Amino acid sequence: MTDGDRGDGIDADGPDDGDGADDAVAAADGGRPPLLLSVAIGFLLVLLAGRMTTCASAAYSLLGVGFCYDPFVVYESLFLGAFGDVASDPLNGQLATTLSETTVLVFTGVAVAVAFKAGVFNIGGQGQLVFGALASALAVVAVADPVSGVAGTLVLVPLALAVGALVGGIYGAIPGALKAYADANEVITTIMLNFVATSVALYLAGGPFKDPDSFANQTRALPEYALFPKALFPGRADASLPALALAVLVAVAVAYLLRRTAFGYDVRTSGLQPEAAEYGGVDAARTVVASMALSGALAGLGGAVYVLTIAGNFQTGVPDYGFDGITVSILAGNNPVGAVAAALLFGVLKSGSIVVDVGTDVPPQLVGVLRGLIVLFVAMPEFFRMIGRRVDVRDRFGGSRDAVATDGGEEA
Amino acid sequence: MSAASRLRERVDGLGTRATVALGAAALLAVALAGAVAAGAGDVVAAVLGLLFQRSTLSAALRLSVPIAFAALGGIFAEKAGVINIGLEGLLIVSAFGGVYGTHVTGSVWLGLLGGVVAAVLLALLFAVVCIEFRADQIIAGLAIWLIALGLAPFASKVVFGSKNSATVGTVPGLRGLVANSGLPFVATVGGDALDALAGIPFFGALFDASPMVYLMFLAVGASWWTLNRTAFGRRVRASGENPRALDTAGVDVSRVRYAAVLLSGVLAGVGGAALSLSLGQFIGNGPTMVNGKGFIAIVTYLLGNYNPVGALLSTLLFAGLDALQLTLQGQDVLAVPRPLVRTIPYVSVVVVLALFGRTRLPEAAGEHYESGEE
Amino acid sequence: MTEAVRLDSITKRFPGVVANDDVTLSVERGTVHALLGENGAGKTTLMNVLYGLYEPTEGAVYVDGDGLATDADGGIAAAPRRFDSPRDAIDAGVGMIHQHFMLVDPMTVAENITLGNEPRKWGGLAVDRDAAREAVVDLSRRYGFDVDPDARIADVGVGVQQRVEILKALYRGAEVLVLDEPTAVLTPQEVEDLFEVLAELTDAGKTIVFITHKLGEALSAADEVTVLRDGRNVGTVETAGTSREELAELMVGREVVLDTETPPATPGDPALTVDGVTARDDRDVVAVDDVSFAVREGEVFGIAGVDGNGQSELVEAITGLHDPDAGRIELAGTDVTDASRRERARAGMAYVPEDRQERGLVMSFDLTENGVLGSQHDAPFSRGGRLDWDRVDEHARGVIDEYDVRPPDPGADARSLSGGNQQKFIVGREFARDPVCMVASHPTRGVDIGSTEFIHDRLVGLRDEGHAVLLVSSKLDEVRSLSDRLAVMYRGRVVAVVDPEAVTEEQLGLLMAGETPADLPRAGRVVGGDGGTPDADARRTTAVDDVDAEATDD
Repeated sequence: MTDGDRGDGIDADGPDDGDGADDAVAAADGGRPPLLLSVAIGFLLVLLAGRMTTCASAAYSLLGVGFCYDPFVVYESLFLGAFGDVASDPLNGQLATTLSETTVLVFTGVAVAVAFKAGVFNIGGQGQLVFGALASALAVVAVADPVSGVAGTLVLVPLALAVGALVGGIYGAIPGALKAYADANEVITTIMLNFVATSVALYLAGGPFKDPDSFANQTRALPEYALFPKALFPGRADASLPALALAVLVAVAVAYLLRRTAFGYDVRTSGLQPEAAEYGGVDAARTVVASMALSGALAGLGGAVYVLTIAGNFQTGVPDYGFDGITVSILAGNNPVGAVAAALLFGVLKSGSIVVDVGTDVPPQLVGVLRGLIVLFVAMPEFFRMIGRRVDVRDRFGGSRDAVATDGGEEA
Repeated sequence: MSAASRLRERVDGLGTRATVALGAAALLAVALAGAVAAGAGDVVAAVLGLLFQRSTLSAALRLSVPIAFAALGGIFAEKAGVINIGLEGLLIVSAFGGVYGTHVTGSVWLGLLGGVVAAVLLALLFAVVCIEFRADQIIAGLAIWLIALGLAPFASKVVFGSKNSATVGTVPGLRGLVANSGLPFVATVGGDALDALAGIPFFGALFDASPMVYLMFLAVGASWWTLNRTAFGRRVRASGENPRALDTAGVDVSRVRYAAVLLSGVLAGVGGAALSLSLGQFIGNGPTMVNGKGFIAIVTYLLGNYNPVGALLSTLLFAGLDALQLTLQGQDVLAVPRPLVRTIPYVSVVVVLALFGRTRLPEAAGEHYESGEE
Repeated sequence: MTEAVRLDSITKRFPGVVANDDVTLSVERGTVHALLGENGAGKTTLMNVLYGLYEPTEGAVYVDGDGLATDADGGIAAAPRRFDSPRDAIDAGVGMIHQHFMLVDPMTVAENITLGNEPRKWGGLAVDRDAAREAVVDLSRRYGFDVDPDARIADVGVGVQQRVEILKALYRGAEVLVLDEPTAVLTPQEVEDLFEVLAELTDAGKTIVFITHKLGEALSAADEVTVLRDGRNVGTVETAGTSREELAELMVGREVVLDTETPPATPGDPALTVDGVTARDDRDVVAVDDVSFAVREGEVFGIAGVDGNGQSELVEAITGLHDPDAGRIELAGTDVTDASRRERARAGMAYVPEDRQERGLVMSFDLTENGVLGSQHDAPFSRGGRLDWDRVDEHARGVIDEYDVRPPDPGADARSLSGGNQQKFIVGREFARDPVCMVASHPTRGVDIGSTEFIHDRLVGLRDEGHAVLLVSSKLDEVRSLSDRLAVMYRGRVVAVVDPEAVTEEQLGLLMAGETPADLPRAGRVVGGDGGTPDADARRTTAVDDVDAEATDD
């Protein structure tokens, strides 16, 4: 049976309009309903947690029941806190944190998206990022001395980025090759390789390459001139506008690659319909390895940027950027350009969770729960379609599936 | 490449048991090669010595419990056609649930029940999302993991003020249970018998284990029986192989799948609660105390070809490696640094998958089934 | 006369489609009733309504295996049935044998038959396997079936699988059996056997509805035939008083010429040579066994056979989707055995794949994007790895125009097109390559009659322009009328190459069943490379002998 009347209003020449996305993930009807539902459940969770703990006086009461946590305060801290006091200081520290987190998340989000487009689920972004970060830090430490100043920046930053991308790419290519040539499920291998990366990085940063002057497991601090220039932001802020610009540029470049090149065509075809790709002369194995290598390189690049903007050296306990990248990509329907917006949202959540931690008693792990809920709800577009259909029946308007889905999107 | 593929062809021709045995040999070879690379021959001898210590078997049995239960759960879900990547998440919430339940009720057994309830609730969410709302099973399973990864530490912080819980009671050992059974004869004679048996070198560990270990063996047998000998088991298999065949035979596929996924929640719940209650604490830092056991469980049942007994054998293999790894860390036999030793189980999973990755999945695993669809 | 089934004014709508439009159908108890129509005429939908898989939008279903009681006006005395699920239909005595067997491959015959109704023991703690086996043996004895209850479904042939399906329905107490395209996967001999089984069942009082799009089968097996077209009942006739022509006209709605006349071919040099090719299937079983033939420029070389006798694997080996174990493949004199799929396409091999929705099109790409599938790395579409979307779009528009693809919108998703239009687009795209050799695998499967005629014309046109065409099809009429030489495959071997004009349907049927008929009109065999026809002739004889030997071994 025909699937209905599609084809209206789809801009075939757009950089990538999500038409190539994986069915289940596409959810091109937007990430908004899942997001709002997740926020709503988070709301209940905060209330529930507020009943489980004890406090002197209720922070919030609803229908005569007192709760120790006020969900409105939590969400206000989470979403608005991330922007700091923008009115009086547009370059405030909290906004800087938000933007620096966003920058790294763009890389990991696009990394996951590229692999997804090729039909490979790269959960190993975290490990690739960790190795990319470690390698770039070590490379800079190794060659930092002879150069300095602006010349140092011009040499060391590209070097760090290149090394991070290379090492991340190799570490991404391994599960790619295992999938392509040995049929080893990439979901499992990438998760295992994350554990391996964490342990190996712990060994290297805590052993051979440990900063002798520190108790923590970390490499020596990189010289100031080897870090990303901050542009407008003050020196102690983590945010770097050039790095953010690079992230956006990379996202656009990846979109171009996927949409406008023969290689991108191969990748999208094998992701959507491997049998058709094979028929179309695509070497499936090579495409899997290439896209995993590219995905790993992007994650590794994210690791290098993390070192050059936020960390200033490599230290163990790298935040979960790789896992957040999965959420970013899924929320963006695996559209690289959309990943920039989704990354900003997660930058806000991450930065906001710090504000929540400082300003309220609610554990910041709430953000972790929200992350999982968003992935879960994006995975079930049918749910929102059903809600939409119910709305549709009431209105007796529209009729095409797409319109219904959009209605659902606006409605919720 | 060709040599590898030829090897794989050979391996494919073998049965489950032979595959597991070969896997064990391959893993041992990897471990030994690593050991040889790291040191001299006497080190190898020392490692082998450790491998056959009673404490290693004891640790291997203890470490097997969460993996084996999760693997059994995974088998039921996947045989029914729902790939449950979220086992890790089920283990995490039940690990916390077990400790929380014990904390509230004061009884480890009620705590165990609490862990099961937590895992079943999360499995129910997963089942609804996959069966009712046709979610992509892999993504939904991943989401279940991520949710648990946030939820358990969140709850721990709310209840205990820290990502790591307070210490609660632990599941008593068999010896302890017997001694406190309240029956004088059992307590004395049974206790003496157990003491004697536990004294046997190496295998003595089998008689001095946690009751959860015996429950694990029991669950493996019961799972095998259920899958292969009962009407429910047949329907589970049919639902994963050809759901339309089941549907046209008049059996509601959704109900079978719900039952199988919830059962995987029950089993993983026992495993997760057993994990935390063997320590008496929930640890919620980083990847939590579960630390990838749910994913290793998936590999063990793939390696065991969906046979509960095969899954148990490969679980013992991985747990044995983990136990060896722990002993190695504790006894400084090797010059290999601890963080690297810690990677052994994970690296072996990757190696095993690469060598024996081509498992035949149930025909309809991962696919949504809608009655009446053409 | 007593009716066992009456479907009263059934209408079934899907979003955007009316599959059944006010269809009334009445089936007499103890008879075989054929439901005839083209693909997409609504036959299967109607039967799914009867089987409780679909709920009708309008209309009523009456079923009683012992015969429906009628009142004085001929109305049904009983209340209509409401089937919410197949379970309800089963309880009402309706059994369905689907086109794609509803069997669980790794399970045994007995396990499959009793699935959902397992005899139990020990208070439900175990399936009573002995009781199950006994029940199956009893049933098969009663109806003269010969099946081993302990054989695994994966290990038995399709004929046996079909019997298991029938037994499954009987085990559940079916009085009315519905068979959906039961002959699609059977050899002519197996079809005969099936019809005997059906006769046996009606003698025992069972009522049978059998869905088919094959005129001849409807005529030979059924007592009555109802023809569906575009979801409507266009007539019910007794087979005793009708003809092929009348049924064909009812089916299509206009007069049909059943055979297409094609002018004789003028073949040239071999364009595609297949020499001693052996290949395995996914289960690692030898599926293509030492196959040799050559397709010459300006001829259509047909391959006939029951599905699953190695045709798919052979085509995939030729087109580069599957590595053969042994043998050699040449395209226009160049060895392409080790060439990749892309290299073969570049060397002039066009390919219309068997499964258009799996392979031939990316379903969620629009036609523009699909138009470049297979040439995405080639000029003029790709320059320096960069795709020129304007060129690609122009190309797709050209194919759409020339091949009358509807809707004529290059921005439409492939999945939104009907099967016939999808296929026309694929054929157009592949023809646009100006190929040395066209490999067309089941090019008209599931395609409406209009598009089928169109595709046939194009294939013959391509041949007349001097290109080579390899045509694989399980439709005997199609391969016979289009081919200049016709090979028959059985169990992975080419058992004979015959002259399609001279060969009879009976002879083809025997060949497809692995037997060698007398007086076979063999076609001249052309084998490239090793030159001499006499030599090739000798080889053919051995090939046939081998098959005979194998047949006696079984």
